[in-house]
Amino acid sequence: MGSALSKNQGFLYILPALLFVAFFVFWPLGQLVYISLTDTSLLGGGKFIGLDNYIRAFEDKTFWRALWFTVRYTVVITPVLMGIGFGLALLTAPNRPLQQLTRATVFLPVVIGLGSSSLLWVWLFDQQVGLFNKFLVDIGVLAAPAVWFTKVDMALIAVTIAITWKVIGFGTILFVAGIQSINHEITEAALIDGANYWQRVWSIILPLSLRIILLTTLISVIGSMLAFDQFYLMTGGGPRGQTFTSVYWIYQNSFVSFKLGYGAALSIILTLIILVFASIQVALSNRSHA
Amino acid sequence: MSLPILGRMAIALSMSAAIVLPTAAFAETLSIFARASSSNAAQHMVDLWNTSHDDKIELTTIPDNQMVTKLATSVQAGDVPDLISFDLIFMPDFMRAGFLTDLTDQLSADPNQAKVAQAFRDLATYEGKLYGTGFTPDVSILLYNKDLFRKAGLDPESPPKTLAQLEEYATKIRESDPNAYGYYFSGSCGGCNIFTQAPMMWASGAKLLPASGDDTPMDGTGVREVLQMLQNMWKNGVIPESAEADTGSNFQATFETGIIGMQGSGGFAIASLKTNHPEIDFGIAPLPGVEQGQASSFVGGDVIAIPTGAKHPDIALEFIRWQLSDEAQLEALAKNFILPSRTDLADNDYFKAEPRYITTAQAVGIGQTPWAFHFNDMVNADQSPWLTMLQTAIFDGDIDGAIEGARETMKAIAAQ
Repeated sequence: MGSALSKNQGFLYILPALLFVAFFVFWPLGQLVYISLTDTSLLGGGKFIGLDNYIRAFEDKTFWRALWFTVRYTVVITPVLMGIGFGLALLTAPNRPLQQLTRATVFLPVVIGLGSSSLLWVWLFDQQVGLFNKFLVDIGVLAAPAVWFTKVDMALIAVTIAITWKVIGFGTILFVAGIQSINHEITEAALIDGANYWQRVWSIILPLSLRIILLTTLISVIGSMLAFDQFYLMTGGGPRGQTFTSVYWIYQNSFVSFKLGYGAALSIILTLIILVFASIQVALSNRSHA
Repeated sequence: MSLPILGRMAIALSMSAAIVLPTAAFAETLSIFARASSSNAAQHMVDLWNTSHDDKIELTTIPDNQMVTKLATSVQAGDVPDLISFDLIFMPDFMRAGFLTDLTDQLSADPNQAKVAQAFRDLATYEGKLYGTGFTPDVSILLYNKDLFRKAGLDPESPPKTLAQLEEYATKIRESDPNAYGYYFSGSCGGCNIFTQAPMMWASGAKLLPASGDDTPMDGTGVREVLQMLQNMWKNGVIPESAEADTGSNFQATFETGIIGMQGSGGFAIASLKTNHPEIDFGIAPLPGVEQGQASSFVGGDVIAIPTGAKHPDIALEFIRWQLSDEAQLEALAKNFILPSRTDLADNDYFKAEPRYITTAQAVGIGQTPWAFHFNDMVNADQSPWLTMLQTAIFDGDIDGAIEGARETMKAIAAQ
């Protein structure tokens, strides 16, 4: 009896959290699933059409092309963010004034809105008035100002540069926290044993930061798979729709073509795909912990 | 017997209240939603109304790309504003969806309604019924840099009057200065180009968007003529390379650098250039067609309407009729160098100080706006058939294939 009481008590303790999750996560998710089974439009509709939206999604070449581009973007930007972020963390982990100032400076763009920073980079990359182009010409990297958004690879590089500048500080701060949490005695012992800096990084700092690296990678991959603002503002999906991301295509269908039902079906498909990615990474993370 | 001073004050206050209350008790506060890009004009209207009426209006600005969502969700939730001002191209979709109140009897009886630009009256009509009227218009015009005209040996007071002249002048400007370009357009922006390139096609007699699946879109030689002219200029380097990727972010900014000879723009550019770039000597002209005397414009801007289920439809209607009056059109709009929606007021005293506004206001009278459902799908979407046609024709050079492709896709969209 005492055990049953304690079970009920435990349930009561978690009830507020359960209600919160049910109301703010499962209820909207249920609504989304329901809308995806209808022909709901912003201008009306709402008739139940079964799996028609899902069948249409599987035949929608633009959606799959957008998904492939999103994966490509994720594959390009994730190592860049992780590599540079970890490098900066190694440089700025010691709590000395210069490192602290550098950390704060690197983190500064994180607090700027993604929309504002994307527009900033549109102008920096502009062929006529862009300072970034002028800088590259002045240092001899380019012979003449480039048009960054007329070729898909150039557009991808431009967005990667802009997003790296914008979010690199976030990963750096997480990595710094991971590095600083490593017991000093271990690194000191390695130092006494004669390990040089790179040996310490490779054999001590990197393995002991693996969990934080995997967590940061997970956050970064999910963020990249959901990329929208930067492409909406910087490339407009161009050239010729080649830089549409999955979310951008969902937005186009839901709020430009007003097809909410179809947009909901695309969102469910994307959610499932991201869940698969996330599960793999969580499994990897658990393995590294074990 | 004299009343104590407090008693006399109480009587005086009661009498004052009795006089004031009848009006105060019935004065209402109405709400109006206006999209961000026209909220400045709407604010002038609302301010003028509020100074002279007991019923007050509060303006809420909605970001342009959220207006459809906002109206649709508020209609479905039964919590709509009393008035709404939005991009006129959404009128057909909103009228068909039943979002707006039928104002046929009330507006038809208003003598000022007949003076509103034809494009607004057409766009606000669905199945013979009228659902709104003009509010804050804007029109497309040809913007040109007079300094670059002089440098190229062209007469700055004689802008191009035909497509052939436009191409010729643009080429001369490019040849006269290696840093200058003859013409500019935002090559990845459907909305910008329906506003600025479509009028040249209309002026040349073309019909562009289908009102139903039975109509033939992109019909008429004007479509090909304009695409050919743009393709020639692109091929010959008269248009800067950056135009291809411009999603509209630099629609205005590139001309402001002073290196662009001509570009299609809107009446809004006048105030912007005068304020931010007084150093640029610019002119305004109608967008030309194939032959001299042909000219047209895209009448854009906002309509005003009463959403279905509005709480104060009578006062809202009073505002709609008032905003068409001489007082509102001249004192709220023209005085602030904003175009009036009534064409008979194009030539007004305020605009005489700046004749470029008169050219712009006159364009309202000759302009068109396509009446079509699914305008977003056909034109504004980032992979719309309209934009795909422009890009394939101008940047790839396949003009006939581009037109044919646009026709097929537009017909399929119109048939939905």
